[in-house]
Amino acid sequence: MGKERFKRVFKAGWTNFRRNTYVTFGTTGVMSLVLILFLGLIAVNFLGSVFVQNLESKVDVRLYLTNEATDTDVRAIQSELQTLNSVKFVDYVSRDQALAEFKERHANDALIQQSLAELPDNPLQAWLNIKATDTSQYASIVGFLEANRLRGVIDKINYYDNEVVIQRIQGIATAVQNWGMILTLALAVIAVLVAFNTIRLTIYNQKQEIEIQRLVGASNWFIRAPYMIEGATYGIFATGIALIVFFAALQFASPKVAVLMPDVSLLGYFAGNAFQIVLLTLFAGIALGVTSSYVAIRRFLSV
Amino acid sequence: MIEFKEVSTVYEDAFVALHGVSFSVAPGEFVSIVGPAGAGKSTLLRLLTRELTPTDGTVSIDGVDLGGIPDDDVPILRRKVGTVFQDFKLLSNRTAFENVAFALEVVGAPTDKIRDDVPKALEIVGLNEKHGNFPHQLSGGEKQRLAIARALIHRPRIILADEPTGNLDMMNSHDVIQLLLKINKLGTTVLLVTHNREIVNLINRRVLTMETGKIIRDQVENGKYIL
Repeated sequence: MGKERFKRVFKAGWTNFRRNTYVTFGTTGVMSLVLILFLGLIAVNFLGSVFVQNLESKVDVRLYLTNEATDTDVRAIQSELQTLNSVKFVDYVSRDQALAEFKERHANDALIQQSLAELPDNPLQAWLNIKATDTSQYASIVGFLEANRLRGVIDKINYYDNEVVIQRIQGIATAVQNWGMILTLALAVIAVLVAFNTIRLTIYNQKQEIEIQRLVGASNWFIRAPYMIEGATYGIFATGIALIVFFAALQFASPKVAVLMPDVSLLGYFAGNAFQIVLLTLFAGIALGVTSSYVAIRRFLSV
Repeated sequence: MIEFKEVSTVYEDAFVALHGVSFSVAPGEFVSIVGPAGAGKSTLLRLLTRELTPTDGTVSIDGVDLGGIPDDDVPILRRKVGTVFQDFKLLSNRTAFENVAFALEVVGAPTDKIRDDVPKALEIVGLNEKHGNFPHQLSGGEKQRLAIARALIHRPRIILADEPTGNLDMMNSHDVIQLLLKINKLGTTVLLVTHNREIVNLINRRVLTMETGKIIRDQVENGKYIL
């Protein structure tokens, strides 16, 4: 009996969806637009996070060591830094490596090559390149180094030269993240309201049918369930349409984004995460449809 | 079977629809309720389907006070009562077959039973050829006959008909009344609200006459339309 009832509810929901052609067309269309907006927000958030990551990857602190610093000193500083949670990694570049890199970088500059050859000793210092987990952590890392017992072997910390730039980048990154979040939430709320009101209107159009069903003796769940199935069906079809439109739009937009951000493949991101994106959109579509139907029908179910 | 005891109904706008109405209907009776617009005829039927509860007094079926039925159990009451309305109240996006089947689906009838019973009910009302038609593809008389098929499909003990001929011509009205008489003959109690003098006189059964929320006349036998 339960299986039969379940089948009837599904059939009734599907019949409503199939037979109310204009309403179905309109509601699915609006739901599709809402889901496209959701997908657009995912894309904007992705681009925002890539932008922030790019900015932050340009920030690091370099610790120049005196020529008297021994290997033991270097290893001690390096391991102490690595114990800090705020430190992502520490790279050591010895004087010889620094010279080799410098020579390679200026391989085509005869004047520099000649000058280096004339110098009696390697003029470059060894350094430690420190990358923090977060740009806001550099000040505390530098503070830790200033108070360190091995401060004597540290010649210079370039943080002080770049402090203003680091803080500005940190400010921009924070602003992009915060405003991105606010914009996403605001648009998501608007999208949910649009979807909800569209389905509410759809159900309002059927209030007479609901009244008839009540008078014939249908229980509230027997009336409500097919509308929830109908809502889910709007969500499923809208998901299909939204994904087709969105991926088609990505084919067009991705190369244009690549011009501005050469390291970024928008299409690659969505294609790489296609399974999750499809599931997420489907979940959003069905949840929106079912919840909107459930809430919208409540007011018509009074005894 | 049906009993109204000192029933008064006052709507939210303070309109007094019923004023101390008392009467009872025995099983298998055919009762026509007549009276001018606003006399309270439809309110009587709405009390019997628990669309309304009385402001005062009690309405009961088989001794059960309808006002005391919990909201969750109201659908069960409605499944025991068949209703027919002036505006048909058919589900517009379902076929004739599906409209009738719906009344069985809500009581959880098995599919086999639905497949067997619905064509029989459609045959009784003469619509077996139009089982696949949607309501908008049916004439007024056909729509009302379909509504009757839906009302009788689960073999209710009571059928409430609120102006069932109000939107029909004389010939279709006659068909609908003949159907209701036929159903009554099989033992179903019928309460018919109507304005139609010819119909009431033709039926020639008990007639309750209402005016300004009161029963002013109760002709138990061979009742006529008198206003």
